[in-house]
Amino acid sequence: MKFLRWVAALLVAGAGIASAQPAPEEPAPDPAQPTDPSKPTISVRGRVIDALGRPVRNATVTIEGDTVTVRTGRDGWFKLRAPIGSTLVIDSKTFGTALATVTGDVLDDIVLLTEAQLGETITVESEAPSAAPGAAQLDRKELQRIPGTGGDIVRALTVMPGVVNLQLPLGYSGVVIRGSSPQDSKVLIDGFEVPVLFHNIGFRAVVPAETIAALDYIPGGFDVSYGRATSGIVALTTRAGDDKRSTQAEISMIDGGLLAQGPAGDDTRYLFALRRSTIDFVLPAVIPDSVDLSLTTVPRYYDGQLRLDHQYSKRLKLTLSTIATDDTFELFATKNEDARSKRFYNRTRFVRLTGAASYKDGPWQANLALSGLAQQFLFEAGLYQKIDIRTPTVTPRFELTRTEPKAIGLKDVVWRLGAEIQSGRGAIDLALPVERREGEPMPAMDPEDTSVKFNGGIWVTDFAAWSAISANFDPRIRVTTGVRAEYYVRPDELSLQPRGEVQVKVADHWKVRLSAGSFRRPPEYQSEFLSKTANGERSRQTIVGLEYEPRDGARVQASAYYTDRTALITHNMDNTLGNNGRGTTTGAELLATYRGGPWFLWLSYSYSHSTRVDRPGEDSRLFDFDQPHSMNAAVSWQRGRWTLGGRFQLYSGLPHTPFTNGVLESDRNIYIPINGPVNSERAPIHHQLDLRVDFAWKWGPVAMTAFLDVQNAYMNESIVTYFYSYDYSQRAAFTSLPIIPSLGLRGIL
Amino acid sequence: MKYLVLIVVLVGCSGDIDEQWQLDHDRIIAVRATPPRIVSGAQSQIDTLVGRNGARPTEETPPGAMVVTPESLASTLRFDGGRWVVTAPDEARLAAVRTELGLPPGAPVPLLVGVGFPETAFPSGIPDEPIAAVKTVWLGDSADNPMLGEPTVDGVAAPTTAELVVASLTDIPLSVEVSEGDDVNWLTSCGTMHDFDLPQAYLRVELEDPTTGDLAVVVRSEVGGVAWRVWSIRAE
Repeated sequence: MKFLRWVAALLVAGAGIASAQPAPEEPAPDPAQPTDPSKPTISVRGRVIDALGRPVRNATVTIEGDTVTVRTGRDGWFKLRAPIGSTLVIDSKTFGTALATVTGDVLDDIVLLTEAQLGETITVESEAPSAAPGAAQLDRKELQRIPGTGGDIVRALTVMPGVVNLQLPLGYSGVVIRGSSPQDSKVLIDGFEVPVLFHNIGFRAVVPAETIAALDYIPGGFDVSYGRATSGIVALTTRAGDDKRSTQAEISMIDGGLLAQGPAGDDTRYLFALRRSTIDFVLPAVIPDSVDLSLTTVPRYYDGQLRLDHQYSKRLKLTLSTIATDDTFELFATKNEDARSKRFYNRTRFVRLTGAASYKDGPWQANLALSGLAQQFLFEAGLYQKIDIRTPTVTPRFELTRTEPKAIGLKDVVWRLGAEIQSGRGAIDLALPVERREGEPMPAMDPEDTSVKFNGGIWVTDFAAWSAISANFDPRIRVTTGVRAEYYVRPDELSLQPRGEVQVKVADHWKVRLSAGSFRRPPEYQSEFLSKTANGERSRQTIVGLEYEPRDGARVQASAYYTDRTALITHNMDNTLGNNGRGTTTGAELLATYRGGPWFLWLSYSYSHSTRVDRPGEDSRLFDFDQPHSMNAAVSWQRGRWTLGGRFQLYSGLPHTPFTNGVLESDRNIYIPINGPVNSERAPIHHQLDLRVDFAWKWGPVAMTAFLDVQNAYMNESIVTYFYSYDYSQRAAFTSLPIIPSLGLRGIL
Repeated sequence: MKYLVLIVVLVGCSGDIDEQWQLDHDRIIAVRATPPRIVSGAQSQIDTLVGRNGARPTEETPPGAMVVTPESLASTLRFDGGRWVVTAPDEARLAAVRTELGLPPGAPVPLLVGVGFPETAFPSGIPDEPIAAVKTVWLGDSADNPMLGEPTVDGVAAPTTAELVVASLTDIPLSVEVSEGDDVNWLTSCGTMHDFDLPQAYLRVELEDPTTGDLAVVVRSEVGGVAWRVWSIRAE
């Protein structure tokens, strides 16, 4: 661990690590390729896509002035050996010709345009986030092929190494990364945070996979352009509409939706999607009559997306995207609908509208975005407890990128500078018990407890600015170093977060990556933004990773990490909030993937150990979401009309705090629990097999697909956690969900 | 998300643990101070309603009791004549305690009394886990326990002296008149109680349920008062 800290210190200080490295050995020249002693030949990978981001297969890639040609695979990727600085000629029958310059071992996506499209044949998309060691990406098709997920993004995330596997999504995002807490990671859609990622019922993401281009998972060590998080980032990118007009419909036992897309003139594409739950039609039928329950508003949800892409000129691209969702339910824990004391009501809704402009001129690229968010969370429980939060927020963001093939003795230099402001005013009306914080045993439920009351408005404004520079010190070593500054106005807190990464190509197909940095999240979870005593939480992450790509489509990556967390927000003795906690997480992850021919293979394993001390002098304990072992093995095979897949999951149960007894508080008629050591017990290991079958056929002009997705196929019933009797004298197991089949039908016209 | 979990729990996850309305369960059901609020010099007696697995609920004086807070008033509780008795101190001492607790002048002073039974007092007591409860007696104020109106069972007034006889496989309405803000608990060891925490509940005895047992209602008022009533019940 000392070594990792040493590396971290060097990286965050921006020291010239490269110059401290022994000179790398020059790669042996490939006799099949032309060589120039002044231009070392390297193995180059790149992807060819069309204007809508879809892979272009069978395009030819030739080194200018040479005869050697390779073709792109069905995923659009190609690989060849070429001298640094040489020009690649990319050609396709369907599209025009494009040129690209070899600047490193992995090129930016090369976009081919049709004749009808603009004359510019090379478009470099905005600088991709510096994916860290351990990061992974799934595109839309892969998301939909993973068995057991029902084609849903939230459940697909559980295949990622480092994501804590939960039977039910928890927290705002439902995503816990590297054993910390849900609020320590951010979920972004088109670069901006969303307040919730999944619907209240049905375990479905608020955006259907059909509208997603890709899912980027960065479990740690993320770039300075990302912030306000101390663990990881999940970034979803919505996709532009197709260049052919089409309409599709899909229905399953969970929900049904429509999607329309196509061109609107030569330069504009649109995509519109709307979805409504169907599970609310099923739910009342499966609840037994004997249950004391009245679903006066059966849980239901809507979500919708609209995206417009407009190529204003050769250099300027405009995008407008919006995401909206609305969840509602109302129930009475009795058949007597006049009993207001037993009423529960919830409405969660938000709409985010983002306008973005991307301008590129030679080595300069500028991205400007303005995003607005309107959201409401309303919950009422019984006669006394409620929370109603409305938080309109606006976020302008600007980023400037300058690329130089050579500068100050370095190659392939990329410099970025960015800034954003997130400002909103929360109108809050709440009356609730004191909230439960991480690790605190579940308190007694007292429906009359309204210890925390607030009715008013609060401005929450955060500023951020960042800059980073990436460069090749030599063909084998690429260094990125940068700093992010954040200022949280409400707690009056300024932070500087230096981060850096070194990539060293140690041999053909092998790459070592070292990453370290400082991260912070503002006090904004639960009632933190009401607190006058809580500041942001901090983490310092150090990650070492190894990547091996033995052949096209095959990739193995392993990483080990150490995260030091400080200023963790905990309750003080008087129930105010303070930054007295600290903790550490150590772990290792393995991810092996293969994408080739009809096969898609995925194997991930993660080990994690996550502990914390809530206050100085207290004993160390496990985090609530400490999950030492998690393994996912998935395979999908596609041939003709059929796609078959299976997924096996094996993961540790989560820790929990046992209750040993309860004391009756007679006047309030509740029992005060007496608990054992915090998180001193753990649920047993869980394993399950998920299966998926897709069948495609034509029905007149309609391309139909039917799928059956079965979770927990052999009905393994393991204990998830325990729930206790009202007086804590008895407990019973909450077992894993039984076999869950999901049947769906999709038609595309 | 927790609210979804709530639905799941409500629907189907309560199988192996006793419901709160189950009388056939070892516990202190309620602690009563008679009266619950007393002025200086007045006395309040402490007793409990105790449930036991396989036995009738009974009114009992707890074998152990102590003042939990404030410690400075520990001497106000004593065991006298087979009963635990709280005697409110004089006004001067109450004023000093108000200062100690940061209460405004004249405010009632909460005296938190803990009562306990050894685990050996219950059929299924867990070793070294006594069964305990706390109750607040308010000093420097006056109030009485609520008067329980005549509860009705199946629409008929239910005197405590009689054994109640109800029909199986029928929803039997139970009703008690209470003031707004009062807390009601219906409990039984015969059949399944629905809406146990509402003034209007109903009882249903299925074929597989015990056909004899007890029915109880406990009412708690906003001023700390407690009243209860217990009946023998038989289903046929």
